[in-house]
Amino acid sequence: MNNITRREFFKFTGGAIPAVIGLPSLLSAESTTTDYKIKYAKETTTICPFCAVGCGIIVHTEDGKVINTEGDSDHPINEGSLCSKGSAVYQIPNNARRLTKMLYRAPKSNVWEEKDLDWAISEVAKRIKAARDKSFIPVDPAGVTVNRTEAIASIGGAALNNEECYLITKLTRALGVVYFEHEARLCHSSTVAALGPSFGRGAMTNHWIDIKNSDCVFIIGSNPAENHPMAFKWIMKAKENGAKILVADPRFTRSASKSDIYVRLRPGTDIALIGGIINYCIKNKLYHEQYVKEYTNASFLVDPNFSFNDGLFGGYDSKKRAYDVTTWDYQKNEQGKPSVDVTLQSPQCVFQLMKKHYSRYTLNVVQKITGITKEKFEELAKAFCETGKSGKSGTILYAMGATQHTTATQYIRSYAILQLLLGNMGMPGGGINAMRGESNVQGSTDMALLFHLVPGYMSSPKAVDHPTLAKYLEKETPYTSFWSNKPKFFVSLLKAFWGDKATKANDFCYDYLPKIGSGYKGGGYSWIALFEAMYDGKIKGLINWGMNPAVSGPNSNLTLKGLENLDFLVDFSLWETETSSFWNRPGADPSSIKTEVFLFPAASSVEKEGSISNSGRWIQWRYKAIEPVGDAKSDLWYLNKLHKELKKLYKKDNKAVFPDPIVNLNWDYGDEPDVHLVAKEINGYTVADKIQLLNFTKLADDGSTACGNWIMSGFYPGPDKKDNKASQRNKEDKSNLGLYSGWAYAWPLNRRIIYNRCSADTNGKPWNNKKALVNWDSVSNQWVNNDIPDFGWKDAKTGNMVPPEKSAQAPYIMLPELHARFFVPKGATKEGPFPEHYEPFESPVKNLLSSQQINPVIKIWDADLDKRAQIDSKEFPIIATTYRLTEHWQAGPMTRNLPWLAELMPEMFVELSPALAKAKNINNGEWVKIVNLRGDCMARACITDRIQALNVDGKLTEVVALPWHFGFFGYVTGGPDNKNYAANQLTANVGDGNTMIPEYKVFLCDIRKT
Amino acid sequence: MPKGVLVDLTKCIGCRGCQVSCKQWNGLDAEVTTCEGSYENPPALKSNTYTKIRFVEGEENNKFFWGFIKTQCMHCKEPACVSACLVGSLKKSPEGPVTYDSGKCIGCRYCMLACPFSIPTFEWNKAFPLVKKCTFCADRISEGETPSCVKTCPSDALQFGEYDIILKEAENRINSNPNKYINYIYGKDEVGGTSWLYISGISFDKLGFKTQLSKEALPNLTWKSLVKIPYVVGGLAVVLSGLWFITKRKEEVNKLEKTHKSEG
Repeated sequence: MNNITRREFFKFTGGAIPAVIGLPSLLSAESTTTDYKIKYAKETTTICPFCAVGCGIIVHTEDGKVINTEGDSDHPINEGSLCSKGSAVYQIPNNARRLTKMLYRAPKSNVWEEKDLDWAISEVAKRIKAARDKSFIPVDPAGVTVNRTEAIASIGGAALNNEECYLITKLTRALGVVYFEHEARLCHSSTVAALGPSFGRGAMTNHWIDIKNSDCVFIIGSNPAENHPMAFKWIMKAKENGAKILVADPRFTRSASKSDIYVRLRPGTDIALIGGIINYCIKNKLYHEQYVKEYTNASFLVDPNFSFNDGLFGGYDSKKRAYDVTTWDYQKNEQGKPSVDVTLQSPQCVFQLMKKHYSRYTLNVVQKITGITKEKFEELAKAFCETGKSGKSGTILYAMGATQHTTATQYIRSYAILQLLLGNMGMPGGGINAMRGESNVQGSTDMALLFHLVPGYMSSPKAVDHPTLAKYLEKETPYTSFWSNKPKFFVSLLKAFWGDKATKANDFCYDYLPKIGSGYKGGGYSWIALFEAMYDGKIKGLINWGMNPAVSGPNSNLTLKGLENLDFLVDFSLWETETSSFWNRPGADPSSIKTEVFLFPAASSVEKEGSISNSGRWIQWRYKAIEPVGDAKSDLWYLNKLHKELKKLYKKDNKAVFPDPIVNLNWDYGDEPDVHLVAKEINGYTVADKIQLLNFTKLADDGSTACGNWIMSGFYPGPDKKDNKASQRNKEDKSNLGLYSGWAYAWPLNRRIIYNRCSADTNGKPWNNKKALVNWDSVSNQWVNNDIPDFGWKDAKTGNMVPPEKSAQAPYIMLPELHARFFVPKGATKEGPFPEHYEPFESPVKNLLSSQQINPVIKIWDADLDKRAQIDSKEFPIIATTYRLTEHWQAGPMTRNLPWLAELMPEMFVELSPALAKAKNINNGEWVKIVNLRGDCMARACITDRIQALNVDGKLTEVVALPWHFGFFGYVTGGPDNKNYAANQLTANVGDGNTMIPEYKVFLCDIRKT
Repeated sequence: MPKGVLVDLTKCIGCRGCQVSCKQWNGLDAEVTTCEGSYENPPALKSNTYTKIRFVEGEENNKFFWGFIKTQCMHCKEPACVSACLVGSLKKSPEGPVTYDSGKCIGCRYCMLACPFSIPTFEWNKAFPLVKKCTFCADRISEGETPSCVKTCPSDALQFGEYDIILKEAENRINSNPNKYINYIYGKDEVGGTSWLYISGISFDKLGFKTQLSKEALPNLTWKSLVKIPYVVGGLAVVLSGLWFITKRKEEVNKLEKTHKSEG
C-alpha cells in the first residue's frame, strides 16, 4: 500500500472509496472555484500519531510535500473519520516550528547553536560512555554481578514505532541503564499491575470496534468523547442498538453529555463506588453464578489465618509500610492445588470473604464518601448489574481518571472484580478496556521501556532474586499456565540481543543485562524515584525520546530543578519543548545552569516507516509519505548511529569498563537502518538458518531461536514485505462482530478478544449466539471459531480437538490457577487481595471506612520540595483534579504548536462551579491563580454548571479542574505572559503502591482572584 | 439531484474534527484566539472560519445539558444572498451548494445583509477583500466525495446524501424515537428550506437557533424579487417584514464590522 497513486489505491482497496477520477464534474464549471486539489496526489496510508485508537489516515503528497491529510475510509476503526487532532496532522510536516537542525546548548549559555549531526552524535556517545564508565556498578555489596549504571536515565518512546522502541530497549539495557522509564509509567502502569494479576495479561481485553456489541457502556475514570473521540463512533453504535451509556465523573464532560445516566463523584473515591456496586450486586444476587463458579477463583479456600481489620489486611508492618503476605494464599489439597468449595458456602472461600469485605460498602457509607446521592447510585448500579444476565455484556472504559491515584492499581482491580461477577470478561461487548493515550504506548509497554520489565512482560533481572539465569528461570517460571514457556521467551530474547555471542556456556549472556537493586531511597527506579534522584544530583545524563517531562511530570518545580542538576540532556524531538529549553524558562538564570543540552531534530510519523500497536493490541504498519524535514532523522536512524558510535568508542578504548554488552550486541541493520530487519527480529527466527518463525509457539529455550518480543511473534512470519501482517488490509468480517481478523495483526496470535473461552458456557455453547467467539459444535465435535481461541482447544501434537469440559477448567491460561482472580494471592498486588478504599494523599476528609487514612503501602518522598497539605486544610480546602482536552495532546508540543488546534484551545483555564466563583468574586474568563504548597498556576476562570460542589459526609466540598497540556514554550503556551502555565506545578510526587504512578487526579489547592 | 446534510445533535460529541478538517481542506489559516471562559472558539464565523461548533449549557425538563451545535452556511434552497448579489457572484447550484465566484464579486456585501443566518463574512484584513463562507465542499461533491466536515465526523452526527433521502432519514429518526428527539426538523421549512437539516433532543430555541424565521423563501421578500415579480406586491405585510429583516440584519453587520475593524 506504500506510495501508490490514488487510482491504484482504489483498485487495491476494491473501490471502497468511490472511484470518481475522470468523471465529468457534476457541477457547472463556475460553481467550483478551485480544482480538486488531490486529483493527482500520491496517497500513502498511515496511522494517527496521537491517541491509541489507531485511526487510519491517508497522506496526499505532491513533489515531496504533504498537501492534504484525511481519514482512511477503508480503515475499519475510523471509517474515514478523524477528531480535531487527527484532522490537524497536516500541520505536523508543514510547520515552521519544526526542528530542522541539530541544536546545542553549551553549559551556562543562553543560546542555542546549530551543529552538525555527526559531531553531535559523537559528542553524545562520549558523554554517555564517560558517565557510564565512571558510575558503573559491576557487583553489588552482596557480591552479585549486577552490571548497571545509576548515573544515566532514559525516558520516552510511546510516540515511536515498535522497531524504534525495540532498539531503545536493546541499546539502553546493553549500556546497563536501570533508570529506564517512559510514558506508560505515568499513564497505565497501574493497569498492567491490576489486570495482569486478575486475568493474566495487562492489556485492553477487547478492542475499539467491539464496543458496539455492548449492552451497557460504563465510562468511569475516562472521557472518551474528548480523549478517544473515535471510541464514540462505536459507543454511539451500541447506543443505537439499545445500550445504556453510564458516566461517572467529577465533571460533566463531553462524554457525560451523551450519557443516559451521569453520576458526579468526588475525585479519588471510585473504589468506594465500585465497592458499593459489588455489594449491591452480591446482595441482590445479580451476578452471573455459573461464570463465577466455573471461571474464577470464587470457590477457592483461603488460608484460615487470613484476616482484615480496620482497613488493614493481616501481616502489616507500619515501619516498612509493607505487608508480610504469608496468609494471603489458598489452602492446598494433597496434590498441592488450591482446595475448593464449589457451593461457595464456606466462610473461608474467596466468594464469602469477598462478600464480607464489601458488605461494609453500604449505600449510606458510599454516599457519604463519594458524594453520590442514593437515587443516582441505585440507578447506576441497577443499570450496570443488568449485564450480569447470561448473554448480556457490559464494558468498562477507563483511562487516566482511574490509573493516576495512590490507589490506582486497586481501582482497576475493583473493575476486574465487578466484571467477573457480571460474567463480562471474554465477551464481545464486555471486558475491561484500558484506553491508551499515545499512539504506540501499548507497543512501548510491550517493549518494556520500563525499569522493572524486559520485552514481553517478563521481570527485569533482580539482584536479590535472580543472581543467575538458572535462578531467574526457576523463580520466574510457574509450573502451570502458558507462562511455563517463559524460558523459551527469555532465552530467545537474549539470543536476539547478543546473537552468536549468547551461548549455553555463558548463560546466553544473562549477565550482560543489568540487574536492578532497591533503587533510589529504596523506592525503585521508576519515574518519581528517577526525578527525585536527579533532583538529588545522582543522575548525570538523561536521554529523552520525545517526552516533555517539564510539563508532564508531577511536581514540575522539582522536575525542572532536577534537570538543572544534570551534566547533559540528550533530547530527540520534533520541537523545542519546555524540557529542552528548561534552562531558558521563566525565572531561570541560564548562566547558572551547567547542563549541556543536545537537541536532535526527529522525523514525524509520516516521515518514516514502522509498526505501532493500538490500544486494542492491533499492530499496524505506517508508511513513509515524505522525507524528514530539514536535517531531521528517524529515531531508528539515531539509535543505529548512536550504537555505531558507542561501539567504536568501546572497541578502541582498552580501558573501557565492561564493553562486552555493547561491542557484542547483535546489531546489523545497515548504515541506513532497514526497519523490516528490525521488525523481523522482533518476530523471531531460527538461529541456524534465519528462517522467520510462524509465531511464539515455535520458540525454544536452547538457543536455537531468537525473538525480540515473544508476544508480538507471528506478525512477521516470512521473509518478504508481503509477509508483514501489520500491513494487512483485508476487511472481511464473517463474525459481524467487528473482529476484522484480516486487518493488521493483534497480539497474542491475532486474538481480537482475549479470554474468549469465557464467551461460552462449560459445554462450549456461547452465552449468546449473536455474540459467539468460539462455539463447540456437538454434532461434529469441533470448535467453530470466529476469533482465535485463547485457550487449549486443539492438542498441539495430535491435532485433536480438546472438548469444552476440559478447556472450561483452564479458561485463563496465563494465570497459574488457570482461573480469574477475585482474590489476588501472595502480594501480587501490594495493598491486599481485595481493593479497599483509602483517601487520596491529600484529602479534605477523614476516611470513613477505617482509621487508615491513605494507602498503607505507598512510599512517602521527603525532599524539601515534597510538601503535603493536611487533612481538612483551611488554607487549601478545594479539591483539584487535572484532565485532558480533545484539542490538545499530553504535554502539548504536538498540539500547542499546531495553529489550528491552538486556535480552538489557546489558553490555560480552570473549571469551577458558579457557587465557588461567587464566593471568591471571580468573573468568567478572568485570570485567576490556583495555589498550593508546591506551586501556583495562572488560569482563565471557566465558570460552569458542569462543575458542582459535592456533599461529602454532610460537608459541601468544591472541586476545580485543570487541563494539564500547557506550559511555557510553543506557538501557544497557555497565556499571554512569560509564565509557566503547567498544571503539574501543583501536583505531588506521590505514587501508587504497586507502580508508583503519580496521583495527578486529586490534590488540594486554593483558587484566588488576582 | 440536490444534496443535503443531516446534523443529528443527539450524536455530536463536540470534538470539533469538523472545524479543523474544514480548515485543512480549504487551506484556511488559524485565528489567534483567547479563552473567554468557554470551550467555544473562534468567537464567530469569519473569512477563515467557515464552520464552528457552538457550546451551549442549559437545562431542559430539569435535566442539565451541554449541547454542541455545528454552524455553517445552511445552503438555502432559495438563498437570499444569491438574489441579493448584484453581479451573480453567488450562485445556487442544482446540487445544493451556494457557491461564490470571486472574479465577479464587487465587494458590496449585500449578501451579508441578506443572509438570515449571518453566515457570509468579509476578509477585512485584505486589500482586495472577498466574501467568504462554507462552500459545501463543492469541489469534493463534484468528485463524488462527501464534504470534509461530514467525512471526518467521528460520531456520525453528520450525514450527507440526496436531500430527499436525508429528509426522510430525519423524519424516520424522529418517528422511531419520539422520546429522544423533539418533533421538529430545523431547516425543513425555515426561509423556504435549507440543504442542511438539524434534529435535536433539546428545544432549538434553548440551543440558540433562530426559531422565528419566516417559513417563506426570503428572495420572495427582497425588493429585487419584488420588482421582478410584481404580482407578489399584494402582500404588503410580507414586504414590510422583509424590510424589517434587512434593517435588523444591517445593524448586526455594522456591529460586526466595528469589531473587526477594531481588531484589524
